[in-house]
Amino acid sequence: MNTPVLSTDTLTKRYGRHTALTEATLDIPAGRIVGLVGPNGAGKSTLLALAAGLIRPTSGHIHVLGRTPAADAHQLADVGFVAQDTPVYATLTVADHLTMGKRLNPTWDDTFARTRIQQIGLDPTKKAGRLSGGQKAQLALTIAAAKRPKLLIFDEPVAALDPLARRAFLQNLMEFVAELDISVILSSHLIGDVERVCDHLIVLAESRVQVAGEIDDLTANHHRLIGPRGTLDTLPDGIDLIAADHTDRQTTLIVHNTTGHPLDLPGADTIGLEDMVLTYLHRAEGLTAPTLQETRA
Amino acid sequence: MIWLTWRQMRAQTLWTAALIAAAAAYLLYLATDLRDTYRLTITDCTTACDDAKHAFADTFGPGLLLIGLLLIVGPALIGAFWGAPLITRELETGTHRLVWNQSVTRKRWLAVKLALAGGVSVLFTGGLSLLLSWAAEPFDGLVNSRFEPLTFAARDLAPFGYALLAFTLGLVVGVLARKTLVAMAVTLLVFAAFQLLMANVVRPHFAEPVTETIQWSDANTVGQIDSFGIGPEGAGIQGYTIPGAWVISDYITVYKGDGTEVTEADIEACDKTGGTPDDCMTGFDASFEVVYQPADRYWDFQLLELGVAVGLSAVLAGIAFWRIPRGLN
Repeated sequence: MNTPVLSTDTLTKRYGRHTALTEATLDIPAGRIVGLVGPNGAGKSTLLALAAGLIRPTSGHIHVLGRTPAADAHQLADVGFVAQDTPVYATLTVADHLTMGKRLNPTWDDTFARTRIQQIGLDPTKKAGRLSGGQKAQLALTIAAAKRPKLLIFDEPVAALDPLARRAFLQNLMEFVAELDISVILSSHLIGDVERVCDHLIVLAESRVQVAGEIDDLTANHHRLIGPRGTLDTLPDGIDLIAADHTDRQTTLIVHNTTGHPLDLPGADTIGLEDMVLTYLHRAEGLTAPTLQETRA
Repeated sequence: MIWLTWRQMRAQTLWTAALIAAAAAYLLYLATDLRDTYRLTITDCTTACDDAKHAFADTFGPGLLLIGLLLIVGPALIGAFWGAPLITRELETGTHRLVWNQSVTRKRWLAVKLALAGGVSVLFTGGLSLLLSWAAEPFDGLVNSRFEPLTFAARDLAPFGYALLAFTLGLVVGVLARKTLVAMAVTLLVFAAFQLLMANVVRPHFAEPVTETIQWSDANTVGQIDSFGIGPEGAGIQGYTIPGAWVISDYITVYKGDGTEVTEADIEACDKTGGTPDDCMTGFDASFEVVYQPADRYWDFQLLELGVAVGLSAVLAGIAFWRIPRGLN
């Protein structure tokens, strides 16, 4: 379990003039449930497609489980991928999809697959094209999981689902992540979902990685500092300024403490995950973040 | 992978098989009828045998031509309806993102699809071609014009190559265009252009044609003058047929024994003596040059036609194998 599930080095993907991902450098240890958040068009799908080996980088390097994505059948067997909109073969039945999984994956766990289909209540004789969005997602999830990968990648698995189906899907996901003991990377633009299921976070905006790390560390090390104007002009080394907002009399800062020691500044207060993420997203867009003011107090 | 590919192409394959079976049944019926009639009217012919031959050709020509046309159009349809959607449909519905993440490399995925769907295309077309070649054997022997474009392209080996080429063309155009409808249209156009180009530009140059000087007196023993005209430009043959051979020249100037062209004045002068045009031409010691591909080159040409198609298919397959592992999104 020492090999990182995902490690990238200045990973860049360009489509013509458009840069979808810019110099992403990441190192994600095994055994995590990683949430990849960011607005639409931030590069989440690009990063995940690169990790699944669907596309190749323009420059930089990416290794998944220590190897080039989709390098060979063995590497493919180790990574399960559920694409956005969870594509399935419309004219094939649910049972056909399981047969496909069985035939195309030497590590296929047929008992697991059939049990899951039964639990979800999918009719094996039903054509996949006639399933609801939630059922399709469940089918795609089952196919990806039953090949018993070491890493499961989901691209916006719940985007197309209604809130009820979303909750059920995530619940389900949590159950068999625990059961299979695997690493997961999932993207979402819903921070609440990520907060519920993930323990590691990557914030992506404007094609760049804004911040990445364990969620507990991130929330413990991001602070809101409020002080009279002029008192917070200089910050100690290792305290990175993320955002600043000034009124006539008061200055509010959001800082990231990278010193490794507890922050020893007056007026420091931790902020929630959502506020932290939004601050990074606003910074990426070059806007002053309205969330800097404590609005919920 | 074989299972999935077969499962995806099963319906269309069975439908096409049914169509081919219908064509084959018709051919079998035609072949039996054709052989009976041949024995009765040609082999056992006693009087008016030339008329019998014409009647025989008129009776069976259309039926054989119909299946022949099916064989010429068939590959283009295979390219458009099998080749083009094979991968493009997956790209359009996004299922490539499902199947590319099973434990099968994209090269293998492509190889199986190409081998299976391409193989079926070639087998279907080739099988029908061999059946037609067999069924038409007495007819082709009698008419003896196997280089005729519509015959050449619908007999023996050529259709195997066409099927393979049209299929890989459709597949590659599909991969590059990524829109099924566009790919289908482009495939049809490009393949039709290929067939026209082969028949009119490339095939005549498969081998250096033979140029032969034929004396007027031998003109109708070596071959047959279909039409001969005299005008202000002189005397010319507009159609010359040599049995089994492919005559490339379409207008043949006739020369006198001294090497100058036969002119309108020569003919008029000769006419006054009261001889037939034929007598006149023989009197001029006339001769003409015919450029043609001899009949015994038929199999070389069939092999070359197949070779060109297989070669181009290999290039196209190479493009697909280069392109697809690189990702398409």
